[in-house]
Amino acid sequence: MPLRTRIAVTFVLLLAAVLAAAFGAVSAANHGNAEREVQRQLDVGARVFLRVLDANRRQLTQAAQAVAADYGFREAVAARDSDTLASALENSGARIGAAMVVLTSLDDKVIAAVGSNATAGMTFPVSRLPIGAARGDGRTTIMVERGHVYQLVSVAVRSPLPVAWIVMGFELDSKAATELADITGLAVTLSYQSGNAWSTAVSTAPAAEARATDLATRHITLSEEPGANVVATLSRSLADARAPFARLTDVLFLIAAVSLVGSGCAAFWLARNITRPLKDLTDAVDQMRGGTYDLPVTVQRGDELGVLAEGLQLMQAAVQSRDQSIRQLAYEDSLTGLMNRTAFGASLAGALAEPGADRIAVALIDLNRFRRINEHLGYSVGDAVLIKIAQRLTKAPAAGQAVARLAADQFAAYTRLAPDATLQNWGASLLSRMVDPVSVQAQLIDVSSTVGLAIAPTDAAVADELMRCADLALERARREKRVLAVYEVALKTESRDQLSLLGELQHAVDHDELRMYFQPKMEFAANRVAGVEVLLRWQHPTRGLLGPAAFVPFAEQTGFIRRLTRWTLDRAVAQGAEWYRAGRPLPVAVNVSADDIGDSRFDLRVASALSRHRLPPGLLTLEVTESGFFEDPTRALQMLDALAALGVILSIDDFGTGYSSLSHLARMPVHEVKIDRSFVLGLESDAEFAAVVRSAIDMGHSLGLKVVAEGIETEAAAARLREFQCDIGQGYLYAKPMPANELENWLVGKTRVPVVAVPVDFAVDDVTDTVTLTTH
Amino acid sequence: MNGASPGARAGRTAALIGSIAQTAMFAHAAGAAVVSVHVVGASGMPAADTVLVFDPLDGEPPASRNSAIIDQVHKQFVPRVTVVRTGTSITFPNSDQIRHQVYSFSPAKKFTLKLYAGMPSEPVTFDTPGLVVLGCNIHDNMVAFVGVVDTPYFAKTPPSGIAELNLPAGRYRLRVWHPDLAAAVPPRQVEVQAAPLTLAVVVDLANSPASVAAWP
Repeated sequence: MPLRTRIAVTFVLLLAAVLAAAFGAVSAANHGNAEREVQRQLDVGARVFLRVLDANRRQLTQAAQAVAADYGFREAVAARDSDTLASALENSGARIGAAMVVLTSLDDKVIAAVGSNATAGMTFPVSRLPIGAARGDGRTTIMVERGHVYQLVSVAVRSPLPVAWIVMGFELDSKAATELADITGLAVTLSYQSGNAWSTAVSTAPAAEARATDLATRHITLSEEPGANVVATLSRSLADARAPFARLTDVLFLIAAVSLVGSGCAAFWLARNITRPLKDLTDAVDQMRGGTYDLPVTVQRGDELGVLAEGLQLMQAAVQSRDQSIRQLAYEDSLTGLMNRTAFGASLAGALAEPGADRIAVALIDLNRFRRINEHLGYSVGDAVLIKIAQRLTKAPAAGQAVARLAADQFAAYTRLAPDATLQNWGASLLSRMVDPVSVQAQLIDVSSTVGLAIAPTDAAVADELMRCADLALERARREKRVLAVYEVALKTESRDQLSLLGELQHAVDHDELRMYFQPKMEFAANRVAGVEVLLRWQHPTRGLLGPAAFVPFAEQTGFIRRLTRWTLDRAVAQGAEWYRAGRPLPVAVNVSADDIGDSRFDLRVASALSRHRLPPGLLTLEVTESGFFEDPTRALQMLDALAALGVILSIDDFGTGYSSLSHLARMPVHEVKIDRSFVLGLESDAEFAAVVRSAIDMGHSLGLKVVAEGIETEAAAARLREFQCDIGQGYLYAKPMPANELENWLVGKTRVPVVAVPVDFAVDDVTDTVTLTTH
Repeated sequence: MNGASPGARAGRTAALIGSIAQTAMFAHAAGAAVVSVHVVGASGMPAADTVLVFDPLDGEPPASRNSAIIDQVHKQFVPRVTVVRTGTSITFPNSDQIRHQVYSFSPAKKFTLKLYAGMPSEPVTFDTPGLVVLGCNIHDNMVAFVGVVDTPYFAKTPPSGIAELNLPAGRYRLRVWHPDLAAAVPPRQVEVQAAPLTLAVVVDLANSPASVAAWP
């Protein structure tokens, strides 16, 4: 039941109950009241009736006394002059309006009588007049004679002692009865008994009332003379008595009905007045729940509901503002104000879901080496750069329909390509926005970027998929050291392969599937074994023995290379130590990737391995790729210094392929350079290559470094290198990489470069395997 | 007025006076005696104002003439009871400051004195034996009784209830009356000899102001 109805019904029912109770109580009281009122009226009437009779008595007595005291009358009585007495009585009676005057002797004998049946000598029952024992003046009684009722009083005639009684009678006729009725407000009926029958002498009651059954009556016995009782009956019609109460009841009923209807309407109106704004408020709340906050809550009232509405309005505003800030936090990058990844994903999904969505291109833009900006120039500069980049991407015309910042140095954009536009062109336009150096705090900062592109629905139709495709393209671009790459389906499978490869590689390390192969390095001059380079082979469970090219580049890309290096370092040092302890010391060379050099604790790992296996540092050579210095030359140099301080031999690998300047090289604490095999392979056929090799060897020597050539496969090449005074050669010409046991056999009969070295205890704690994978 | 026969009452009277003691006294040498009558009420208390009348049965009594006074003091007749011989004149002085109108409707003597104060002009002569009830026309409460008797031998008891008379020897009829008598006292015969005689009379008195006992 709705609140409105419930309020109204409760109200009306309550009122109805109260009214019914009141009505019932009043009716009951009225009913009883009428009865009581009539009884009371009868009581009063009876008293009044008797009072009136008494008043009549007094009056009559006085009149009779006046007669009795009249000297002449007394003289006549004394004289017993009957005629005189009769005339005197008549005269006296007429004077006071008495209907009957009788004079009796003291022994009740009638002396004279007027207006009565009594005649002289009769016994007149004056003795009955006094109701008490003794006779006296002013006693009254009621007597019936000839159908008329008389009130009699008797007064003694004194001369001076009582000598006679004078009895005066006044008829209680209809006039007197009417007077009594008027005074008492009741119907007065006088009845008398004659023999066994009752007769009515006079009555003021209407004829109809006499027959009425609901008549309240009160009988007053006026005379108890046996067989001649006189009774006055006071009566009142109960119906008459109830009439005013009945009217009162009617009026009450009318009031009850009117108030019930009125209050019902009022209750309904009040309830509606309450519930209608409640409905409005409920509607407002519903809208708010739906996320609509700008609808005003329209309840203009001064009461509690108005206050509630006001509160709701305020709450709506508060919720709206909070909602907005939550949305911002959830979907916006607080630094640049661009979308975050979540918002971008949603936006892209929305764009893809649009009908006719076609050629939606997504670009992921990576800022290269952004970490270095943060580290060297401070985070505030880094933040400023990011803001500038964001501005460039959003500057009209915007780079795309949406631009987002997905990670610290990664931005994204998507757009709907026009039919004549190509993905590459769009990517190029993005790159062109990034080309100019960023000016922050009066510094010009070079920011290069890499872009990965993908397009829907060709590459993927779902936002997540599409972004992943762009990511793969970006990865490829980075791997291939290009500024831009477009996603190709092959990438996906490749990536899948790589992912499984990563898992397998991890498995390989954990389950000892990796093998160390050693390739000897030969000293040209004395044809002695200068040492061995450790090369990895993977005894793959299904694919057989795999060379480093199959997994090392991948390990470098994924950062897994550190783990491989650590594993190799540990094993190689252990092997070197074994040979050292066996009295056949043989320098061991281990390849170190750029990533390893970036590991700030790499020197500690090396020291730890050396100490652990007790290998003299001079028996360990670390071959560092030139590319290892690209990212952060300063840091790389610091690491090289630290490694050099340990006493290990440092070698620049792949020398000649990189861009390392001579000044760099001069500052580096390295002991040798290793000319890249590509030069050696082309040595015989290409004169230019020969010149490069020669000058590289000369340069190395001029810096005081040993020069190693690798990839020597022919005697001719060896001859040329020898001619160029290259120090050490390495290649199939001398020996293929081989396991340790084969190497042992191979070494039999060979001369080794003599080594004088002692182990050093570096007192380094075991460096735990905390690998911090950094983006490269 | 009393209708009861003397003979029928004799027995009761005898019972009433059964305790009378007779004492011989010599009041007069010439055959007379002092008769002392003791009147008491039913309760034994002396009864004042009792009228005692001795009617001589042997011969005529000697003639006598006398007078009496009934004063009016404080709206009362004083005395209330008076006994006189026929032919006696009674004077009705008025000692009150207010006027009175003395009257009588009694058959023995009907008269009216005009409203007066002080002394009335003339005394009233009562010459018919019987009871005269006096009243005042103005003051209904004023009542006096005058017993008029045809004999010189009568008395009214003082507060002691004892009356003494000098009666010549002989036979008498004794009548007893009192205004408050509840029952009439029947007359009785008394014989007076030379010796003093004491009689006892018991009266039954009731205080009923509206009525008066009948004159014997």
